[in-house]
Amino acid sequence: MILRLLGVGTTLAVAVVAAYLAVLAFALGPGMDCTFLVLSAPAPMLDILVGLDGFAAPFLALLALLSAVVALWNVQRGRPADSVLIAAFTAAMLLVLTARSVACFFLAWEAMSLISTFLIAAHHERRYVRRATFTYLAVAQSGALCILAALVLLAVQTGSPEFGTIAQRAAQLPLGLRTVVFGLALVGFGSKAGLMPLHFWLPRAHPVAPAGASALLSGAMLKVALFGLAITALQLAAPAPAGWGIALIAIGMLTALGGILYAVVDRDLKRLLAYSSVENVGIIVAALGVAIVGHALENPLVANLALTAALFAICNHAIFKALLFLCAGTIAESEGTSELERLGGLRRSLRWTTPLFFIGCASIAGVPAFNGFVSEWLLFRSLIALLAAGDDAVTWVAIAAIAALALTAGLAAACFVKVFGVAFLGAPRHSRPRPPEEFGPATAGVAILAALCVAVGLAPEVVAAPLALTARNAFGDSLAFARLLTSLPPLPITLALLPLLGGALSLALAARRADRRVPAWTCGSPVTPASQYTATAFSKPLRTIFAFVLLPGRSRRIETGGSTWFPSKIVYRTSNRYLIDEFARTLAGVTLVLARRSRAVQSGSLRLYLAYALAALVLAVAVAR
Amino acid sequence: MIVVQVIAILALAPLVQGAMKRVRANLQGRPGPGLFQRYRDLRKLLGKEALLPDVVSPLTVAAPGVVLGVAVTFAAVLPIAPVAFANPVDIVALVLLLAAGRFVTTLAALDTRSSFAGMAASREMTFGALVEPTLLLSLLGAAGAGGTQLGALAHTPFGLPGALALAAFFVVILAETARVPIDNQETHYELTMIHEGLLLEFSGWQLAAMEFASDIRQLAFLILAVALLPAPSPAFHLLWLPVVMAAIVGVETLFAKMRLFEVPQLLLTGFILSIAGIGLRIFGGHLL
Repeated sequence: MILRLLGVGTTLAVAVVAAYLAVLAFALGPGMDCTFLVLSAPAPMLDILVGLDGFAAPFLALLALLSAVVALWNVQRGRPADSVLIAAFTAAMLLVLTARSVACFFLAWEAMSLISTFLIAAHHERRYVRRATFTYLAVAQSGALCILAALVLLAVQTGSPEFGTIAQRAAQLPLGLRTVVFGLALVGFGSKAGLMPLHFWLPRAHPVAPAGASALLSGAMLKVALFGLAITALQLAAPAPAGWGIALIAIGMLTALGGILYAVVDRDLKRLLAYSSVENVGIIVAALGVAIVGHALENPLVANLALTAALFAICNHAIFKALLFLCAGTIAESEGTSELERLGGLRRSLRWTTPLFFIGCASIAGVPAFNGFVSEWLLFRSLIALLAAGDDAVTWVAIAAIAALALTAGLAAACFVKVFGVAFLGAPRHSRPRPPEEFGPATAGVAILAALCVAVGLAPEVVAAPLALTARNAFGDSLAFARLLTSLPPLPITLALLPLLGGALSLALAARRADRRVPAWTCGSPVTPASQYTATAFSKPLRTIFAFVLLPGRSRRIETGGSTWFPSKIVYRTSNRYLIDEFARTLAGVTLVLARRSRAVQSGSLRLYLAYALAALVLAVAVAR
Repeated sequence: MIVVQVIAILALAPLVQGAMKRVRANLQGRPGPGLFQRYRDLRKLLGKEALLPDVVSPLTVAAPGVVLGVAVTFAAVLPIAPVAFANPVDIVALVLLLAAGRFVTTLAALDTRSSFAGMAASREMTFGALVEPTLLLSLLGAAGAGGTQLGALAHTPFGLPGALALAAFFVVILAETARVPIDNQETHYELTMIHEGLLLEFSGWQLAAMEFASDIRQLAFLILAVALLPAPSPAFHLLWLPVVMAAIVGVETLFAKMRLFEVPQLLLTGFILSIAGIGLRIFGGHLL
């Protein structure tokens, strides 16, 4: 009890502090930052500095929101020990967002990685959880080394560990060096954010954590990684050439398409949500790329529009993915599984979760009047503005990106129609009655997120205005952008007014007429729960059409028993191959073998170790001379 | 003006559907129903009792109204009548609106528990996703680089890029209005239908609303298509309407329905046409 109180209290405190800092950061003008020396190290390069930067403002606001919601969740759900870990996790993320020196950032980053490892390992009694944790740890630490290398390179070359000074002096560094830094940061932050091909740990690790932690991992930690990538490209290693932007667009769109393809065919709700996070990260990174290209081409409209779209998409994804993961936690708790083929008709037992989950699905599918629509619209508009930016190669990139984004949007809609239709609609696939769901603090927290989805969807300017300000601080003013933003506020209501009115009329009319309810007609055979369409069946056409990516395999075994004509049992199995995962597994295997081989030098003999030390000393002196 | 436009489209939508059905029947050597049969069908449905499956959620009950609302919004934003105020709905918003209509229709279909409706929902979402890039790129290609206003569609010069965009958009129309070779409005053979399968469990006024909505959507798509064709002034675009209708009916008569997994090839063709269209529109100056 005390443990839970401590966890929830600390998480709430982090939320309050983050909200306060977010307000302060939004108030900072362009070029203003405030930095405080917390700990003076013996070497100035290791100074610990914290401070605020205008760019961190939206991220701080998100962290505040999600911490508060997860704190509410932890009041009721989850184990007390987990709630303490979650509190530490949010505090570490807060520190990453406010770090202003290399050492501080790296220490905070490592704290975030390690605490999240404990969260992922929460159910370590299961073998697959331990494997997922190990994979996560390996990727996180390799990524952290890349980030460290990038930051140390910058600090050494600019002569200062302080982010503000690095950003000022970065422009004098040669482009080649800055590109190396950017590449290292892309690998380091990209692996944490789940960019393909370094995404393979994410769909394993995110689902096995407790629901509250999954929500923070997908909702907040991915955003912190994106924050790192964004400040590297826009501040620390700036100015970014168009090439970086094009690389980000290409990687981002491939990640988005790959992520949503794997999501649409997945049968496990939580893993599907994790793959959908990969997709969303891809979209956000592509938007960031568009902003960089726009800035490099000196087109403030594109740059401002795309960065606003990226930040808006970050906010949206944090809100609806946290919502969906928390609801998935409720489902797993009530049904004992998150496998879509075993779920069905959940709307009867989960009367609170159903409308909330629907709002999440509609948001992520980009339905007007929900928040996902707005960022999608902004991103499409930024890509269309990029079409006319004048550079030939960039135009083709923009055309390809528009096509890829439209396909991604369509597949995402299909994916979440599948999830909601199969899991919540229709009838349960089992006959065990469930107790009706009760409204508690956890539900209230999720309801806050759902209310935000609708509120932001209907009044996008409330979020768009501060985000546009953040973008303007990064890229300077754009009149065309300000004009374009004015067409945003009336858009959702114009699109949604008649459909909402029609839906309300339809419901009212049906209630008044009290039409009869009859069993569905399926050619005379009785409608059983087994005859409902399944998730596998729903995604079958897409699995066939995109077979060249998904490489589906299937096996069918027919047991005829005694009769020649009538089979007694048909076993049908279908599976996808995950090429990138297989490659990663091979790589891991090779690494482990090499590690085992290199054990030969560790004989345990003290004299040998002394010889090693001497050899290292001689080598160091030789190199230093 | 916009009210007149909506009322006209609503009033004429069933007639257009009836005319296409009649011409198609005549081309296939059948007398076919009368031109106004669609109105009679809708009236008949309105008089009938509506039955719904016993397990459906409020979402399905609301679906006919939502879908009709989407169709009417589509009709209202078409660039025919001159509008006094700036229309906030651009091409991107229109594409996302149509996707939202599909979202609700397919969820309602899955809710009915019928396997046929589920099958139709699966196919609708699949082809919907595949068609979305083509729809967006063909309209953007027709509107010209950087232009996203629907009003721009009727004013851009035609030329080769316009023709390519129109060809791509034609494929989109076949898919979105459930036409042969992708779907077949006339079929009620459960395993092949997509659009009809979605509506399988609706009856009475709810079915009438759904059918009326698909008539409106169809006419709206046709009007978008004629907006892509060349005309001396915006109002003259509508004179192309019979030509586009005849083209669709002609395709329906000349071609057989494709096998389901051959449809992506047709959609891919449309997609490539749309890419060529927008590319040529932007680079037309120094490529030709």
